[in-house]
Amino acid sequence: MIEVKGLSKYYKLVEKKPGLSGAVQGLFARKYSIKKAVDDISFVIDQGEMVGYIGANGAGKSTTIKMLCGILTPSSGEITVSGIVPYKERKRNASNIGAVFGQRTQLFWDIAVRESYDLLKHIYEIPQHQYEKTMDLFTEVLDLGPLLGIPVRQLSLGQKMRCELAAAFLHSPSIVYLDEPTIGLDVAVKVKIRQFIKEMNRSMNTTVILTTHDMQDIEEICKRIIIIDEGKILYDGSIQSIKDRYGHKRIIHFEMEQEGEFTLPESLLGKAEFTAHEAGVVSLSFSNLIITAAEVISEMLRFYHIRDLTIADSRIESIVQDIYERGI
Amino acid sequence: MRKYWEMAKSQIQLDTAYTAWYWARSASIIMRMLIIYAFWHAVYENRTTISDMPLDTMITYIVLATLLGNYVSGVGGQLANQVRDGSVAIELMRPYNLLDKLVALDLGSKISGTIRETFPLLLVAFLFLHINSPTSWLSLLLFIISALLGIFIGTQLDLIIGILAFWLHYVWGLRVLRDAILAFFSGVLVPITMFPSWLQMVSNFLPFQSMVYVPVAIYTGQIEGIAALQAIAIQLVWLVVIIVGIRLAWSFAIRKVTIFGG
Repeated sequence: MIEVKGLSKYYKLVEKKPGLSGAVQGLFARKYSIKKAVDDISFVIDQGEMVGYIGANGAGKSTTIKMLCGILTPSSGEITVSGIVPYKERKRNASNIGAVFGQRTQLFWDIAVRESYDLLKHIYEIPQHQYEKTMDLFTEVLDLGPLLGIPVRQLSLGQKMRCELAAAFLHSPSIVYLDEPTIGLDVAVKVKIRQFIKEMNRSMNTTVILTTHDMQDIEEICKRIIIIDEGKILYDGSIQSIKDRYGHKRIIHFEMEQEGEFTLPESLLGKAEFTAHEAGVVSLSFSNLIITAAEVISEMLRFYHIRDLTIADSRIESIVQDIYERGI
Repeated sequence: MRKYWEMAKSQIQLDTAYTAWYWARSASIIMRMLIIYAFWHAVYENRTTISDMPLDTMITYIVLATLLGNYVSGVGGQLANQVRDGSVAIELMRPYNLLDKLVALDLGSKISGTIRETFPLLLVAFLFLHINSPTSWLSLLLFIISALLGIFIGTQLDLIIGILAFWLHYVWGLRVLRDAILAFFSGVLVPITMFPSWLQMVSNFLPFQSMVYVPVAIYTGQIEGIAALQAIAIQLVWLVVIIVGIRLAWSFAIRKVTIFGG
């Protein structure tokens, strides 16, 4: 269980003047500015929850995660993770958590993957029989068998990420932080990784905190999301309720039988909006609080010959993008 | 304790990952020693002693100093790099003390260095360069104790560079400076006894001569008896002072840590 109250982290940045003279001046006198990376945030996450922690680049996600891991000391506020204050008892907190940082490797670069796991076994003091059991399970689920004898430098990105994931879950931590675990991966590997995370949560009741820019990850794995922007929490709640609140906007693309001028049927005026007309495809957007998709379609069919149509899903992706751009 | 030993072992595995590189190191140190050997022969061409040291003592000193000089560096550079590229974050979320881990890695690489460099070097030195044996069994024993202390001091002192990276962010210049100071004051280049007396005085107050000069001088008999025991006691004091200082600096560094690169 994670409790965060009034958490803030400020960074001191060195401001350098531009150009060569600025560089020289910077050697003698420096100016600092304060950046609020995380600004007074609070939340509670229960054991076994899977939470998507999302925000634009530089919003303060990684800073929060690092404070939860005990790597960074907060400027103010309180954190407890399973009753431990992470930055005060870093080592005790560490045996409780696992993490994947999508952009850094935690495995040995030059020697076989198996050796990394073997060292982790000793570092986390995992009993031999438990280690063997977990390894067998991971080897099967993540298909690690053929990878174990190969050094990381010779693995593909997808293979590497599967290995990283196994490393993060190896000691059965109660909390796992996943920082962009699917970055740059193909769809097949992404699916495998999502399945693995869900499986771990189901069988071990692992709490998962996931930061990612891939909304598909979030939608498939998490029930709850926390959206952060410029260090502040914009939204904290279930995915369903954010969809209910913002997801009423729909778009339908109609493929017309005949190309040519298009005018909105009179009965739809004021209810739906004509947004685009490209290569014989007409797009209408509307809010399903005002008019249902079925009504829009039947109205269109009355006036035009339609060859085909697609209803765009109210994806969390566009909702989140909306929130980033316009605020809540 | 077990986990740190496993880390040391993994470091040995890492060192042996690239075979050609491994043996190249053996060859290069022997090469280096042969050059130094030829150099000192040339210096002694027209004289029998320099500051009371005959050629054979000098050769013995220089060979052993080269050998120990191999151990003075440590893993501070590795820590500095991890701080700079931000991968120290991953180290800090593991249930171990990073300083202890680094010392374990250092131990590992020094063990593989011993097999790779020290053994071949000693073999060549005894068989072909005819270096002197230690003056007595006792001095051999004291040499080994003193050499180990010197190596420990080297390991710890090097960590300072890594810890400073938390404040300075980029420590390449510092490492160059360190290498220069070490080469001079540790006694790797020439015995400290060849310095002018005021410089010897300065050196006496620094920890660096404990790393190479003291053990080697005990071996060659330049420091003997009570003086040898005193020198070892001073080494011990330095070791303790440096370890305590480093742990203190570390606890400060860890509180102000900033992780770079997202």
